[in-house]
Order: sequence, then C-alpha cells, then structure tokens
Amino acid sequence: MANLLWLQGGACSGNTMSFLNAEEPSACDLVTDFGINVLWHPSLGLELGENLKKMLNGLVSGQIPLDIFVFEGSVVNAPGGTGEWNRFAGRPMKDWVADLAKVAAFTVAVGDCATWGGIPATAPNPSESVGLQFLKRASGGFLGPAYKSKAGLPVINIPGCPAHPDWITQIVVAVATGRGGDLTLDEFGRPKTFFTSFTQTGCTRNMHFAYKVSATEFGQRKGCLFYDLGCRGPMTHSPCNRVLWNRQSSKTRAGMPCMGCTEPEFPFFDLAPGTVFKTQTVMGVPKDMPQGVDKTGYIKLTAAAKAASPAWAEEDIFVV
Amino acid sequence: MSIDDSNQLLKTIANLLANGLETKTEPFPETDKQFADVLTELRQLDQNDIKGKLVVGGFVNHPYGPDQYRCMECMYYLVHRKWCDLPELAVPVEPDWWCRLWRI
Repeated sequence: MANLLWLQGGACSGNTMSFLNAEEPSACDLVTDFGINVLWHPSLGLELGENLKKMLNGLVSGQIPLDIFVFEGSVVNAPGGTGEWNRFAGRPMKDWVADLAKVAAFTVAVGDCATWGGIPATAPNPSESVGLQFLKRASGGFLGPAYKSKAGLPVINIPGCPAHPDWITQIVVAVATGRGGDLTLDEFGRPKTFFTSFTQTGCTRNMHFAYKVSATEFGQRKGCLFYDLGCRGPMTHSPCNRVLWNRQSSKTRAGMPCMGCTEPEFPFFDLAPGTVFKTQTVMGVPKDMPQGVDKTGYIKLTAAAKAASPAWAEEDIFVV
Repeated sequence: MSIDDSNQLLKTIANLLANGLETKTEPFPETDKQFADVLTELRQLDQNDIKGKLVVGGFVNHPYGPDQYRCMECMYYLVHRKWCDLPELAVPVEPDWWCRLWRI
C-alpha cells in the first residue's frame, strides 16, 4: 500500500479534471488494482478542518509515511515572499509544500504551473509564482536545484495544460509499484518515456508537413498547421499523437495547432495579441524551426519537397 | 474555378506583369502585424479585382531578393494547380513569381 497525497497551489483544477478522466489506468484502478491509498485530494478527500490538519502534521512528522506527494498548481509566494495569498489548513501552502517535500519518497509535479510556473508565472507574475523545481527554463524553483526526494529522485515533472490523464496515472502507478527507480528523466525532470518524442510524432498531418502543404484555417483537414497557424508540434516534446486524448484524437488531428504546453516557455510570446495561433516569422521564414533544422536546410528541403509533392497532397483526401 | 478559367486568368495576370504593372513589393511585411495589415487591405478589395490584388500583394514575375525567393517555395503555393492558396489572394501563379506575402 502506497500513501498518496495530492495538494493544489495556484491552480485552475484542470489537472485534477484530467486525472479524474484517466482510463489506463483510471483513478479508481489506482486504488483497487494498484494498492494506492489516496490520503487526500482536493476533489476526493473526506477530511476537513482540524482532521485534515492533523493528518498533514502526521505526514510532516513522519508518523504517517508519505510515499507519493503530488502537487498541482504553482507555488504562490506573494505578497512579498510570504505566500499569504494561498493559505491552506491554517498556514501558507508553500510552507506545507516545503515540509512535505522533505518527507516524501517521491515528489510529482503535475501540470505546467507545478512544473515551471505556467501561466501564473508569466510576466509580470503578480502572484510571485514558481514551479516546484523550475521557474520556466531556469532550474531551481521553490525547492531548489539540488532537491531530491527520499527515494533519490528530483521532482518528477509531468507538464501539460493540462497533463494527459494517463501520463499522470501511469507515472503514479510506476512509482507506487516500486518501479520509480526505473524512470529516466530528461533535463527538465520529465519522464523520457513520454517526453522524448515530439507532438508531431504520429500526427496525421505529417504527409502535409513533408510536402509543405499548409492549412490556412482552423479545422481544415488538409494541410499542416505548422507553416501558418502557429503549430508548435515539431518542437514540442509530448506524446499527444501517440497517447491520444479521450482515446480518440488530438488537437492537431482535429485541426487546432499545438500550443507547446509541455515546454517550459509555455505560454509562448507572453500571449501578445495575434501571436498565439500565427507562426512567427522573420522575413517570411519561421522564427522557430523544427528542432535541429537550420534556415538554409529548411529552404532547400522546401524546394525539393514542393517539387516532389504528389497532386493528392493538395486535395482534402478525407472527403469520400 | 475550372482549369480552363484558371489558365485564362493566369495568362491575364502574366500579361499584366509583363506589361510593367507597378506593384507594392516594398515594404516587405516583416512582422505579423504588418502581414495582417496587408491582408486587411486585400480583404477590402472586390474579390474579382485582380489588378488590385496584384498591386497590394506586390507581385513580380521573377524571383525576388538576395536569396531569390519564389512562389515555388512559398507555403501557400499549390504546385499542381499552379495556385496561390492564401484565401485573400486565391489566384493562379507561376512557380518563378514572387509576392510580398511570401512565407516558407
């Protein structure tokens, strides 16, 4: 039996909603099949008031073992580093986080806000938000760059806005069943099993990407969303087109550009008007190239791809 | 538009450019705001105002700039249809032409 505690900081509950929709395994499977004891969760926890505080104090003192500490939302430090804007069970949430992270066997950050600050930490960051171990791309965050949980791992970061339900439950199961040591993390603490490939990997529009045919409107079935509509699929690490959403689809499959929400910089361009769903260019050439591609190579590739493209690439082949 | 109509329009456009139609090749819309401004200008034209589209779009009948950019590499160019797929333009074009809404 592994004890799991889930707390929320500066959060919209989006990752909780995602978690509750998990299918493989589901949130119920965690309890019934994998022996996870959910001590408390903002949407599932039964304890209130003094009882909750007593339980939290029991965890901090070591009286109750804390196997998995899951945190959702940013760590709020405002005003002036006190954390008073986000109080929980009688004290600033950040103080609970500091104490619980010390005793947790594994610490898991779920969603962009918990991993690197997310939208709340976007300038001017009035809530003085940070992620557990990162602030955007900078290592450190609330717990500091040297933090390791009792099992010897840094914070396991599962980013996304929200994180895919199955990324959450599968990592929790791995940890709860004693396979936490097998997890390999990238330089941002993300499990490599999910965050080595790109959002573009498995995208149904890859042939349009290859032949340089652009989608010009949202929802179009023909064309790639990277060239004009700001899709960040080629430079975003996520399995959104391998582990499908609702087991059905993904944003790019449905004709909406990837917004790069599993990367530390999300939201890109500070959400300035006209920048989110428009590929940013310099003299007509994309500012952000697919990872590992340079401008000269890109232009050469485009010329060759266009010259070689078949006629069907210009048609809507999904219409019968 | 039928293939015949498209070919006929392509000839008309080619003649206009060959006869020295002056178009706004500059300023090149470097930012997305500037790009959007050109699109706005195009949207205000009558859909059949071909000459107006060529002028505002900054069309030329040859590659352009130090890197000799051309429609052939532009994201909006459909090779087989010889067609510019940018909704605000939607005109037949030759692969060696260029306009200031060029993007790759």
